[in-house]
Amino acid sequence: MKCEWVRENIVLQVYGELADDARHELEQHVTRCADCAAELKAEQEFHALLAQDRASEPTPNLVAASRMRLQEALETAKQGSFWSRLAFDPANWLLQMKFSPTLAAAILIVGFLGGVGTMREISRPTTTAGGPNATTPTLTPVPTEASITGISSIVQEPGTNQISIKYNTVSTQEAQGSLNDQKIQQLLLYAARNNYNTGVRFDSVDLLAQKSGDAQVRDALIYALQNDTNPGVRLKSIGALGNYVKDDTNVRDAVLRALVNDTNSGVRIEALRLIEPVKADGSVRGVLMALAAKDQSTYIKSQARTMLAQLPEID
Amino acid sequence: MLIREAQRGNRAAFEELVRHYDQAVLRLALHLTGTEQDAQDVYQDAFLKAYKNIGSFRFECSFYTWIYRIVTNLCLDHLRKRNVRKEDAPVAKDASGGEYDLLDQVPDVRAGANPERDLLRRQLGARIAGALEKLTPRERMVFELKHYHGLKLRTVGEILKTTEETAKNTLFRATQKLRGALADMR
Repeated sequence: MKCEWVRENIVLQVYGELADDARHELEQHVTRCADCAAELKAEQEFHALLAQDRASEPTPNLVAASRMRLQEALETAKQGSFWSRLAFDPANWLLQMKFSPTLAAAILIVGFLGGVGTMREISRPTTTAGGPNATTPTLTPVPTEASITGISSIVQEPGTNQISIKYNTVSTQEAQGSLNDQKIQQLLLYAARNNYNTGVRFDSVDLLAQKSGDAQVRDALIYALQNDTNPGVRLKSIGALGNYVKDDTNVRDAVLRALVNDTNSGVRIEALRLIEPVKADGSVRGVLMALAAKDQSTYIKSQARTMLAQLPEID
Repeated sequence: MLIREAQRGNRAAFEELVRHYDQAVLRLALHLTGTEQDAQDVYQDAFLKAYKNIGSFRFECSFYTWIYRIVTNLCLDHLRKRNVRKEDAPVAKDASGGEYDLLDQVPDVRAGANPERDLLRRQLGARIAGALEKLTPRERMVFELKHYHGLKLRTVGEILKTTEETAKNTLFRATQKLRGALADMR
């Protein structure tokens, strides 16, 4: 009976799930019983064998893609209705009642301020977008990131420098202006980082590429290169950063990270091409040596070896 | 506080809650389903379900237990469905007539510096995965939560809406089966 109990509890002992008194009893028993001691040893060895196989962690790309997909779905998802909550959770209902005077006051204040704002808008002379001076953006204030809920499209008029961006706050709005307009730039930067629509991210990165001399734009391009789930967007970003590999160490580091970690071979090959002019740099040389020694891609491995062979020997 | 906010319909609060738990959820779903696509589907369904039903969460258990309960139920459904359509798995026969999964033959692109050790690790991983497939969905779930996620059996019982004692018995059965299936590897 005792041996049977021990055999059934050895697995709990190995997983640290036995209560102190039971553990003590089991430990005492195995000092006296050779069979049970052998069973405990076998279970421990098996546990060690299983421990060699660990559940793999989800990649940052998978986490980011899952979050993005969920955010998209949450846009249209509805929570259980108030009445169903009322039926199931009276405590929560009471809690909401407690805040209802505050809520009513808040609604009154928002309503009053909204009315005052609307009256001012009505009394102000209107200006139409795309008037005599087409480069002047519409007169709505520059949107802040917090007020934008999404960007639905970016279109450049053929043959002009006019860009039209539809973005959503509470309702969809549209901004027009040239690439030099602060508002247009701000919306493009927002789209490159935050939008769930790949086409919009691609369009914004494509336009921002023309302004890659701006440090803020380069930051957005680096962000897209490192975090965007779409290889086309990453390829566009790395192409736009190409001219700054030599002078901007942040760009160089981002390109090196893409060369080592990107899952897309096209992006990696472009990264390899871009670091060619700075291959003598210590950090670049180190990466090339690692790639030449053990990269999965035979093309990258051989290119890295060729580039290293062109470098002067270090004494 | 975040839970109360999310219950009042604050989506930002709910997204903050998601970020607290989603990596663990994704890890569990990835290991149980075996593919990124299926893991993403489980992740999506679980958090959407949580969002729609958060109003009925009554703090009778921890939020952690509640969200894991949703995820494990979805994973159990997935495992049960997979057991039904197992005959469709891409299997082939080796020289001795034994079946093996063709997907196991796809090289692991994350191989590190030591190819021999990586090969052994992959072989061990494939054998363990094969042995895990032979467990019942419930045994698999208890083993997964205990062995790979390190949860206490009491918590496992709460998540699966059963007793700690039942979780202990299920873990015992699961390890006995696994030891039998992997006897030649020791």
